[in-house]
Amino acid sequence: MRHETIIAEGRAERGLPANPVGAMSILEVRNLKVSYTASGPQILKGIDFAVGGDDFCAVIGPSGAGKSTLIRCINRLVEPTEGDIILFGQSVRPLGAGDLRRLRRRIGMIFQEFNLVNRMSVMDNVLSGRLGYTGAFRSFFKAFPKEDIDRALHLLERVGLSDHIDKRADALSGGQRQRVGIARALMQKPEILLLDEPTSALDPKISRDVMGLIRELAAEFKVPVLCNIHDVQLALETCNRIIGMQDGYKKFDGPSEGMRKQDLDEIYAMEVL
Amino acid sequence: MSITATDIPTIPAPKREWSRYRHPQSTIRFAVILAILAFLGWSVAFLNIDLSRILGAFPRLAEILATRYFPPDLDYVTDADFVRSVIRTLEMSLLGGFFGVLFSIPLAWLAARNITVSRRIAYPLGRFAIMGSRSIHETIWTILFVTVLGFGMLAGTLALTVFCIGFAGKLFSDELEAIDMGPVEAMRSVGASPLQVFQYAVLPQVRVAFTGIAIYTWDVAFRAATVVGFFGGGGMGWYLKRTTQQLESTRVAAILLVIVGLVLLAEIGSGWLRRKIGNMR
Amino acid sequence: MSTIDAPVSEHGFDAYLAHKRNRRINNWLLVAGGVALLGWCFWDTIMFDTDWQRMGGALGIVGTIERFFFVDWSLLPKLVVPALETLMMATLGTLLGCILSLPVAWFGAANVTPSKYFFYPLGRFLMVLSRSIHEIIWALLFVGAVGLGALPGILAVAMRSIGFISKITAEAIENIDPKPVEAIRAVGGNQFQVMYYGIVPQILPVIIGTIIFEWDINIRRSAIMGLVGAGGLGLVFFRQMAMFNYGGVTLVVLAVLVLIAIGEVISHYARKAVI
Repeated sequence: MRHETIIAEGRAERGLPANPVGAMSILEVRNLKVSYTASGPQILKGIDFAVGGDDFCAVIGPSGAGKSTLIRCINRLVEPTEGDIILFGQSVRPLGAGDLRRLRRRIGMIFQEFNLVNRMSVMDNVLSGRLGYTGAFRSFFKAFPKEDIDRALHLLERVGLSDHIDKRADALSGGQRQRVGIARALMQKPEILLLDEPTSALDPKISRDVMGLIRELAAEFKVPVLCNIHDVQLALETCNRIIGMQDGYKKFDGPSEGMRKQDLDEIYAMEVL
Repeated sequence: MSITATDIPTIPAPKREWSRYRHPQSTIRFAVILAILAFLGWSVAFLNIDLSRILGAFPRLAEILATRYFPPDLDYVTDADFVRSVIRTLEMSLLGGFFGVLFSIPLAWLAARNITVSRRIAYPLGRFAIMGSRSIHETIWTILFVTVLGFGMLAGTLALTVFCIGFAGKLFSDELEAIDMGPVEAMRSVGASPLQVFQYAVLPQVRVAFTGIAIYTWDVAFRAATVVGFFGGGGMGWYLKRTTQQLESTRVAAILLVIVGLVLLAEIGSGWLRRKIGNMR
Repeated sequence: MSTIDAPVSEHGFDAYLAHKRNRRINNWLLVAGGVALLGWCFWDTIMFDTDWQRMGGALGIVGTIERFFFVDWSLLPKLVVPALETLMMATLGTLLGCILSLPVAWFGAANVTPSKYFFYPLGRFLMVLSRSIHEIIWALLFVGAVGLGALPGILAVAMRSIGFISKITAEAIENIDPKPVEAIRAVGGNQFQVMYYGIVPQILPVIIGTIIFEWDINIRRSAIMGLVGAGGLGLVFFRQMAMFNYGGVTLVVLAVLVLIAIGEVISHYARKAVI
């Protein structure tokens, strides 16, 4: 069964339009291949999929399958070797430095280890999400416009950090830091969210809270999400679509409800061995 | 189902205000920065510094080096007397370094807050001795010792010893303050005397670090030893003074080359030794 | 030497004892060699070179030392301006040293250097050069280049500071956490923003701590710049020495101590405020 069909069926069950792929997709990945060195092993060996609409799409698979590389290719933190990535209707690979920056500011990214600047305040970390839209003079004096500050205040309230605005980022707990990361990503008014293992540095309880918060906010701001996650249970609970990867290939693509035991076994076959 | 700007909810006005400006802290910070800038400006005016001359100094130095100091008079530094003074300099630095390290260990023991013999008397005493030796520059020590004991290497060696006490004492006491107190408490609880505590609980923890610091101290002492002779302390610095005063620039250049070369050798040697000792840990 | 590198299991206990014995003999030889070397140094420099006659025996020495204890307090008002000059020389020298350290640190940090084969070795060489030449020698060179006054002192202090400041800065740059840098890049920040928001906050505390530390040392250094033609307390020291007014010399030394104590206090609070 082709994955488009699986998706269409899954979406029909939930009363959604049948086909997110095609004109409606925000992100389309075609035959993506990556190797870090010219002679080195291929990490991704030809990946195809599309994300759009209200997709909250999890990429799962054993470690070393290329999940993180896949996510990082989309905003070109990792350079693809072959294939096409089409984001918001434009091809990502040929973009020059300036165009790439303009593209990146439309993509929100949440990181495994939060990637906050530890010595800056929570507020400044959140505001730094607007840097792509801030001129040199304003960014030098950290003088962000009033509407950015209002947005930051609102987002901090939404993620539950209103009482920690002026604390330094390294004074917060792991879960709180990831909430700062979420607020920073949403500061960008993103049109797609990329999540690179957002919970693997957190304990299980906090992980669920954080994933729940991200799902809630993504729905509220109507942003599709592409999320790389190693906790299958959490992925099935939170996400409405699963892409299973193994050894650089896509092994599964469909709604999380359609995921069966043998699909999982196939994806994780290598790890069992 | 594509996203358009109208779909995205508008942000409601936040319930609170935020501004980067914090009442007392921001004002104090601005005042401090302003005060520092004012002091810098006042310094420039007070010392009558012409800023353009600062930039001009480096081309001027290069020009002087190229015209007056070049070519270095290498015959002068291969002369037997000069080579002898270089060896003497090395000997002074070894003696100064050795005695400095020897005296600074007990002083550092007194000046380490966690294991000092008594916090009331010994701690301030040890601290004062180390800080005093550190605060006065080695050239001033040299001049003072030369005044009392006359020209020669005795004065230079003593000045280097005092310099090394200050230098090594600080590093030693910092190292002692960072030790694990567990063994010390264990030794104290079995009724060991302070000296026994030092020997059995403290020294084993810091021996490797102390050896490294001692070698580094010698390296720094050698650097200082090259100039103590300039003020009558013996060694190669005396040749530097004589040639400078007689404006024999090509000879000065040769001596400077020798100093830089030797200091580099000393630094490479001490770095190599310290790495070797670090590996033994 | 805490490792047990003896091949215990292969050759048995006797071999281990023999190994221990050898090592003990080696250690004794090392100590004996050291003592012989130091003894020879002592003989060659101290005994051979010192003019014991001229020193005038124990009484003469005590007599000279005694003269230092009659502190000449009348000099005190004349020390205020030189002390201020010394402090200013140290401050301006540190500032200039910081400015000059910027390119050196940039060249000498392996991960940001413009060229690994030319600028990196150049940066490293400048760091070593700056530290290996004593401040007195730097001062002599600059007095030759720009004449007498405070300027050669400032330049000498600055040159001597470059090595330490740029070395620590380069190490801080090499050790930065790349993750925040990646995050700023991912939100679409430009080169300047990546540096200003991603790198600078990480290295700033280290750099400021180093600058404060160096300023503290530079007060000591500027206090002697007067000996070779720059102004400040060193010049007063030199003049008092030339007049054999040992009481005045003591006062100058005390003034240096006070100045350094003030510097310690300021740098203590400054470090607290930054970190």
